[in-house]
Amino acid sequence: MGTNSGATAGINNKPVGGAAVLGVGVANSAIGGGVLSNSLGSGGGGGLSISGLGGQNANVGSLVGGMGGAGGGTGNNGSDDSMGGPGGGPNNQQATTPQYTIPGILHFIQHEWSRFELERSQWDVDRAELQARIAMLLGERKCLESLKSDLTRRIKMLEYALRQERAKFYRLKYGTDPPQLNEFKPTSNDDGGIGTDVATDSEVPYSSVSNTTWRQGRQMLRQYLAEIGYTDNIIDVRSNRVRSILGLNNNTDHDGVSGGGVGNVGGGIGSGGENLSPNINGNESNKRASESEGRHTPAKKVQQSNDAIILDTEAAVMANFEFLGPTEMSDDDEISDDLEMVATDNEDTDVKMAKRPKSGKDMLTEEVDGSLGLGELAQLTVNNESDGAYDANAKDGTGGSAGGAGYRKTWNAKYTLRSHFDGVRSLIFHPEEPVLITASEDNTLKLWNLQKTVQAKKSASLDVEPLYTFRAHTGPVLCLGMSSSGETCYSGGLDGNIECWQLPSPNIDPYDCYDPNVHSGTLEGHTDAVWGLTTMQNNIVSCSADGTVKLWSPYTKEPLLRTYTAAEAEGGPSSVDFVRNEVDHIVVAYNSAHCIIYDTETGKQVIKLEASQEMSGNTGKFINKVVSHPTLPITITAHEDRHIRFWDNTSGTLVHSMVAHLEPVTSLAVDAHGLYLLSGSHDCSIRLWNLDNKTCVQEITAHRKKFDESIFDVAFHATKPYIASAGADGLAKVFV
Amino acid sequence: MKMADGSTILRRNRPGTKSKDFCRWPDEPLEEMDSTLAVQQYIQQMIKRDPSNVELILTMPEAQDEGVWKYEHLRQFCMELNGLAVRLQKQCSPSTCTQMTATDQWIFLCAAHKTPKECPAIDYTRHTLDGAACLLNSNKYFPSRVSIKESSVTKLGSVCRRVYRIFSHAYFHHRRIFDEFEAETYLCHRFTHFVTKYNLMSKENLIVPINEEENAAPGESEA
Repeated sequence: MGTNSGATAGINNKPVGGAAVLGVGVANSAIGGGVLSNSLGSGGGGGLSISGLGGQNANVGSLVGGMGGAGGGTGNNGSDDSMGGPGGGPNNQQATTPQYTIPGILHFIQHEWSRFELERSQWDVDRAELQARIAMLLGERKCLESLKSDLTRRIKMLEYALRQERAKFYRLKYGTDPPQLNEFKPTSNDDGGIGTDVATDSEVPYSSVSNTTWRQGRQMLRQYLAEIGYTDNIIDVRSNRVRSILGLNNNTDHDGVSGGGVGNVGGGIGSGGENLSPNINGNESNKRASESEGRHTPAKKVQQSNDAIILDTEAAVMANFEFLGPTEMSDDDEISDDLEMVATDNEDTDVKMAKRPKSGKDMLTEEVDGSLGLGELAQLTVNNESDGAYDANAKDGTGGSAGGAGYRKTWNAKYTLRSHFDGVRSLIFHPEEPVLITASEDNTLKLWNLQKTVQAKKSASLDVEPLYTFRAHTGPVLCLGMSSSGETCYSGGLDGNIECWQLPSPNIDPYDCYDPNVHSGTLEGHTDAVWGLTTMQNNIVSCSADGTVKLWSPYTKEPLLRTYTAAEAEGGPSSVDFVRNEVDHIVVAYNSAHCIIYDTETGKQVIKLEASQEMSGNTGKFINKVVSHPTLPITITAHEDRHIRFWDNTSGTLVHSMVAHLEPVTSLAVDAHGLYLLSGSHDCSIRLWNLDNKTCVQEITAHRKKFDESIFDVAFHATKPYIASAGADGLAKVFV
Repeated sequence: MKMADGSTILRRNRPGTKSKDFCRWPDEPLEEMDSTLAVQQYIQQMIKRDPSNVELILTMPEAQDEGVWKYEHLRQFCMELNGLAVRLQKQCSPSTCTQMTATDQWIFLCAAHKTPKECPAIDYTRHTLDGAACLLNSNKYFPSRVSIKESSVTKLGSVCRRVYRIFSHAYFHHRRIFDEFEAETYLCHRFTHFVTKYNLMSKENLIVPINEEENAAPGESEA
């Protein structure tokens, strides 16, 4: 504005009598308060400086309503100031130059006249412009008023519907009319501080009629809205405009829509609530009460003069603005919220509006029942909000479970794999076929085809008979791995050997002749029990109680590729896995309850996964199993202290830790997509976890205890909907 | 293996346990075992303590259901016989032992097939063990491990008879393997005692000279 007026002054300055005139217009403007322009003439001769013309633009910023006159006023003031200039100019000239020529005077007069003509035309143009602007703003305001009254009426309708519902519910529940229903009716005019004028119109039909009426009314409203051409987009634009006019920050745009808008409706209802039960709500603040009084009185005045059913009247508009007035004074947030509410006409707001009054009424009812303490309204509103949120969640939850039933299946035990004489230490699925292999402490591995079942009598579950028994280990078999093709499998045993097996056909006759080629090799190198085994492409990595982790490439001349040994302080390795999202990395869990990620190529330690603040007590945190997330750089560990912990592979830090079972967690498996985690524990149960929110989706008690051990392993089928558990009771179970 | 701090002993083989520490934990009295697998635990505990003390291993605790006791022992025998089968697999091939024989008196037919078949010795061994595993784990005959139907107990005898042939074949045809295995596990020794004690096999079928050795010079064969 300042620069604008300065520029204008510069243009309009005319050198008089050859004297150089410099006009510097300095315009100070106050927002919304018209323009003050001071022109300072400098440079000896004095001059003409006309400012304030441009400043009239500033009037745009003034408040809605009646600013046209104010703008005009400031404009005049500005020009008055500068009018002094030309008066002074010729006087000075007369003093300094006594000689006048007639042509000179004529020329001067002519010149002055044309100048004033020019100015006048300019003012005319400006005036026209401003008038157009005023008209536009007035129109805008009118639209907003009508929209607002529509919305307030809608609120009233919803409130009424809710009240009816509540009454109905009460009748159904207690068989009598709700006692407070009578209270509601007379007070409902005051109830809901906003748009009381609307209430008068609607109250008559509401109190006597049912849902159909207000539905019709709603329909009418919709039509009406359509008539005045208010699409949601326009409303959004308008709301922004209104906010900018009132000088509100745009940030309400972001957080106000959801939170603030709702809050305000609650507030409105809340104040209504005060009016409803003043005697009950004895400790309400006087200030608050008087404030709500103040809100309602002007509206009531309007009511008396306004009985038209169609609500778009100037009076209603004014009433609304009077209502807004005091609030504006008291609480800025409330205005913005109001505007949000008024301006946003979409289903979301609808729902919220419906919800707020509801919870407001909830509170009221509870107060009447005396079951709730009488607190500050603000607190009530907060409570309501949480109530509403809970409702919404519940609703979403039911919707989610109905819609997500396809996703959230319940796993049921279907196949029981009995044939091992002792605990089943490990099991692994074929990558494609419904085939799995179990490894047991009875020194054998068994191959099972889930399609070859024996129907057990009076039992829903199917028994599966093993197809093949792999015998080579001379002690308990502890761990299993399978090649990605599903042709080969590997087993590690307490005897320190890793045996390699060519899988027989899944359709083999269980009592076929012995084929020594099934046992296709032994990887010798470990000097103590092999406890962990995992495969990646053609390589396998194993960890052993001899303290080493070894990388093998079976069926080659020199199968042992590399040995990884940690510092002695880490203790022996307990479990190992390939890091799935990073080639050439393996993660090894050590007795120290740390995991170390190695680069298989260099053999160097890449990072150590350890929790900084939990270093103090690592006893009992022993890691029973470590698995790598199939797609994310996350390592998951199962601990003796009943926890499952999640680690970030890149930073090496603990991401999440949760108590997952009642007893040590022994086994983990992540499904191929990385969405679900399966855990097994010595508490005899397996649990399925949603990896997204780390919540338990299902718990199944699957196995019995032998000594203090129960479940040794769990597994997901990579491509079929099977999960399986292996237990110390010698059974393996497959769930579908 | 590891004793937890204080009073509670957790009998667990945690991953990473050295093989010498496997199942190395203090004995738990049978009466304190509340598991459904208590009998198996008890038997394994006794074997672990001293595999050679066959008599003690076979001494049935008081108030123990005899059916379960026999059943669990037989499971344990079959399980440990896997160890013998592993050894036999290396030496006993269909070419060398085309038939399941012990002495020349009998050729044993494999009962695993629909019509009993003259399987090579190694197949007979495997099929018998697999069949025994299936039978002893059958939900039909042995749905519970805490009580055994009387009708099912009779099945134990035929299982004993069949698996005993593995001992006898090994003894007569793979003596070295048999001796090594026996020195480690005393399995045939224990088995003979077991079937004799519970009258699961007739004496004339017990052709492996265990009892005689024991009677004649106890401990000589083990020495």
